[in-house]
Amino acid sequence: MSDFLNVALPKGRLGDKVYALFEKAGYGCDEIADPGRKLVFESPEHGVRYFYVKPSDVAIYVERGAADIGAAGKDILLEYTPEVYELLDFGIGRCRMCVCGRPGFRDDPNRTLRVATKFTKIARDYYAGLGRSIDMIHLNGSIELAPILGLSDVIVDIVETGATLRENGLGVLSEVCDISARLIANKVSYKFKYDAVTALAARLRGTIEVQK
Amino acid sequence: MASTQFSSITGGVFSKLENLWTGRGYTRYRVNRFEEYDLYAKNRTFITGSSILTFTDTDGRLMALKPDITLSVIKNTPNSDALRKLYYCESVYRAADISSGFSEIQQAGLECIGGLGLFDVCEVISLAARSLAALSQRYILDISHLGLLSGFLEDAGVDVSRRLELLRLAEGKNSHEAAAILGRAGVSPAVSATFDAMIHLRAPLEDGVARLSVLPLGEHAAAALSELARIARALRGTGSIYLDLSLRSDERYYEGVVMRGYIPGVPSAVLSGGRYDGLMRRLHRDAGAMGFAIYLNLLERLMPEPEALDADVLLLHDGADPEGLTRAVAGLEKDGLRVRVDRAVPEGFRYGKLMNYSGGELK
Repeated sequence: MSDFLNVALPKGRLGDKVYALFEKAGYGCDEIADPGRKLVFESPEHGVRYFYVKPSDVAIYVERGAADIGAAGKDILLEYTPEVYELLDFGIGRCRMCVCGRPGFRDDPNRTLRVATKFTKIARDYYAGLGRSIDMIHLNGSIELAPILGLSDVIVDIVETGATLRENGLGVLSEVCDISARLIANKVSYKFKYDAVTALAARLRGTIEVQK
Repeated sequence: MASTQFSSITGGVFSKLENLWTGRGYTRYRVNRFEEYDLYAKNRTFITGSSILTFTDTDGRLMALKPDITLSVIKNTPNSDALRKLYYCESVYRAADISSGFSEIQQAGLECIGGLGLFDVCEVISLAARSLAALSQRYILDISHLGLLSGFLEDAGVDVSRRLELLRLAEGKNSHEAAAILGRAGVSPAVSATFDAMIHLRAPLEDGVARLSVLPLGEHAAAALSELARIARALRGTGSIYLDLSLRSDERYYEGVVMRGYIPGVPSAVLSGGRYDGLMRRLHRDAGAMGFAIYLNLLERLMPEPEALDADVLLLHDGADPEGLTRAVAGLEKDGLRVRVDRAVPEGFRYGKLMNYSGGELK
């Protein structure tokens, strides 16, 4: 087990924002400022090693121990339920998981509700909690098309500003849960690198509190 | 179906564990690879991963390839207070989820069944710690008592559905969402702070018990703590045992002490166990039971890297002089070299030195 704390960050804007928090918390890495073709960035003075992966893969890297900690969206954690610790809410990348459809849509309880989504577990759990039977339609993208073309009655999807929904004549019908980026840790790394992981989490928590 | 070979490393590990367990008078329990499906159907949620491989026997009975050993052990245990101390090393067959397909998992473990006393509980915990020590110089055995968190929440007046949600969040050490739920439940900030301290508590067992004892726990949790304190005193000086209240096991089957074991280099628990009196009651047994399982297939990660070379020498020949070739190979072997004899270079074969045997000469 390496002495470095391996950190999986999500590629893209969210990853940049999360790294900025790490930097403010005192875990900056000079190599990230000038990445070149590098994939892994080390900061020996702070004992951390960063790498960027596809956002939906962060939890897999952490659960499987390739990364000790990482930043993953709550949507991914709810959908794939990885065996990890969720130590902190970064409070960034905020959005909502919502049920969306045509404005004024009325759910007829005598018919099975057709639900299109990328997040089948979240949708299944939500409707199971309501005791509503549904016909699940798993889609990989362009979810908003489903109710427009009559493929589904509603969709369950992430809503950030709602602009895409409005442009397509759709709206939010109900909220499922709030989403934001979370600090997650591999359970074994947490135990064997306890001091390093908890010190980092505490400094990140302090940084987030100051920003509030 | 993915298959796990009983490799030399896991075989070697099992022989160490067997020595340890037989040293405490545990006897080997052997089972068939299959059992009537009915046994598992009635206790499906006890088995991690719900898929079970089934087939129809020659007499029409629905059979299952064993997804678990503990259920078999209990089924074949008489309803008596007399102690049975058993160990096993068997394959179980499970699908973690629909997408991953079935796997053969090599599992070794022990079970102590009957009228358990404090000594028996401590002996199982101590054997779990020593089993981990047999796997790795560095290890951690986490233990908890299921009555601590659930008892605390019950005493705090948190309703059952919120309690389950809070226990799930505690398992992930997720204090930010737990705080929100406790706020909605209307508990005092002091209760919320105590719950937070409990789910983040991590300390060597006796220290952990001491830290818990100064918290305002309530009647049910205090009873659980008292049991844990006696265990901690009895186990004083026994290996790397930590208190971690985030451990969770299905409370329909487990109660009291639960444990997980970890070693560096394996990203998930290699040992899992606890006291499963609830499962015993479901199978109409009055006695108590405690045990643990070690997932030997996870230890494959600790195997050394494969040798860089398939052989030290690749010896090519034309087939004309087999007697001379045999003598030449014997000479190389005598020098401690690994020799592959062939007529041409095999595709993808990694060798250190290429030699030729031709006309009675080795070049």
